[in-house]
Amino acid sequence: MRVLRAIRIDKIIVDGYCKAEAVIIDHKISFFGEVNPRTGRTSENIYIGGKTLIFPGTRGSTVGTYIIYGLKYYGHAPACMIVQEAEPILIAGAILADIPLFIVKQEYEELVKHVKKKEQSIILHESSREVLIVE
Amino acid sequence: MDQVQDGEAQLMYLTPEQERILGGEEGWVKAKALKVIVKVGEALGADKLIMIRHAHVSGISYTNIGEPGLKFLEELAENGAETTVYTTSNPTCIDLAGKSTLIDQGYLEQQLLVNKALEKMKIKPTYTCLPYMLRPPSPHEHLAWGESNAVAMANSFYGARTNREGGPIALLASITGYIYNAGLHRLEERRVKTLIKYEDKLDDITASLLGLWIGENIDEIPMIDLPTTPRIQDVKLLLASAAATGSHALIVIKDLTPRKTYIEDIDDKITISKRDLFRTYKDNIWKGGKYSLAYIGCPHLSATEFHSIIKLLEKKRDKLRGKIVLSIPPLVSSMFQRELEVLRDKNIIEVITGTCPVVAQFKYRPDIIVTNSGKAFFYLRKLHRLDVRLASLNNIIG
Repeated sequence: MRVLRAIRIDKIIVDGYCKAEAVIIDHKISFFGEVNPRTGRTSENIYIGGKTLIFPGTRGSTVGTYIIYGLKYYGHAPACMIVQEAEPILIAGAILADIPLFIVKQEYEELVKHVKKKEQSIILHESSREVLIVE
Repeated sequence: MDQVQDGEAQLMYLTPEQERILGGEEGWVKAKALKVIVKVGEALGADKLIMIRHAHVSGISYTNIGEPGLKFLEELAENGAETTVYTTSNPTCIDLAGKSTLIDQGYLEQQLLVNKALEKMKIKPTYTCLPYMLRPPSPHEHLAWGESNAVAMANSFYGARTNREGGPIALLASITGYIYNAGLHRLEERRVKTLIKYEDKLDDITASLLGLWIGENIDEIPMIDLPTTPRIQDVKLLLASAAATGSHALIVIKDLTPRKTYIEDIDDKITISKRDLFRTYKDNIWKGGKYSLAYIGCPHLSATEFHSIIKLLEKKRDKLRGKIVLSIPPLVSSMFQRELEVLRDKNIIEVITGTCPVVAQFKYRPDIIVTNSGKAFFYLRKLHRLDVRLASLNNIIG
């Protein structure tokens, strides 16, 4: 395992260990309407269960909190989530479903760029202040 | 943002009592509920928690929340979660009177399970979007309300303080009795930036149009200057419409919103007329003729409104050009039992109770729906993809 890059975490909302393949969604997600909790798939047919889900943030209906909880209930919760901005819908969902949630603000673009470059990259975080991109 | 540079969450001041709850001394359910409130508050920059007097829980329609929502509510209820403050509930996805020809009762069983979980937590079975009708808030009082139209009424009409909370957070606030001190809970955030001068008379349809327009065009907190004091039913339609097309939670109405519940800091003035509004929404306004359904009661009709509408309908019944659906809270239904029985015999008028077509499923798809509500217009088009036109109640009834 080789560390390719370390990205600074700006804020830990829900802490936890997370080592999983990264999936990037490059727009704000409305969990209600765009993610199916029964299948763990987004409307673009991306499976997010067990992944490190990287996305800018959430938008839309507050029912989104229940959908995040539903992902956990149906066994399709992401291993952790890294966002640029966290709003109440997402924070409440992450805490209730016990899904680690981190905010990477300043180096978000860096993170996305590096993960995209090597599709097989894996993100690892261990209660530290950095996201490590490894191969 | 230096407070987040070291990777630690910004800390909020908590009282020993709150620390005790977080530590689990009143059970893990309450601890987890408070943890959510604290975390959301920290993310929003809140300095402390504040006690609330009334929580209003939205997001309880099974059509919307589905199995995950039901399981979440059941798990809370089974683990002993209970409200600690007066708590009301939003409309469900079924007609609680069970007589509707419009509202599909397919999720009856599931919705009743949702209701059972809510009632087990001691949430009042009010099932209405008018929580202020059951307990009118006082100026400056802190609330945790879901349901955008109710939030806008609480802040703008009553001068109370609440953000637009989601259903889950309002529920967790109800269980803990606390909400984070951020956003509209703080006087300095209730800052009016835009003055909107409207010089014509306000009625139901112009209130809806003005609301839709404000929601679509104004981002900051506005103040509306009207020539005369508006009727409460028109304020309801205006605020509900603005809260649907925009994210408004406070719209100050000059000489109506209690003074000192907002700060004037106006740097932009706009004048808009009835003519401008009718021109902007000309394609959405009903031009007359037949309709398959007229929908009145978004937000729900109060007892006074319902009473005056059924009086009017008694006189104009033969002139109706299509079916008319009136939407009311269970409380109003219980007040008008005799009148409802009379109406039931007349197929052209239908009254639905404790539900909301926006969060329900329809038994059939009406061709043309007319409504005086900008909120119903917006959501029935967006969520149900129906052909909806706006009209005043007077035009609809004839």
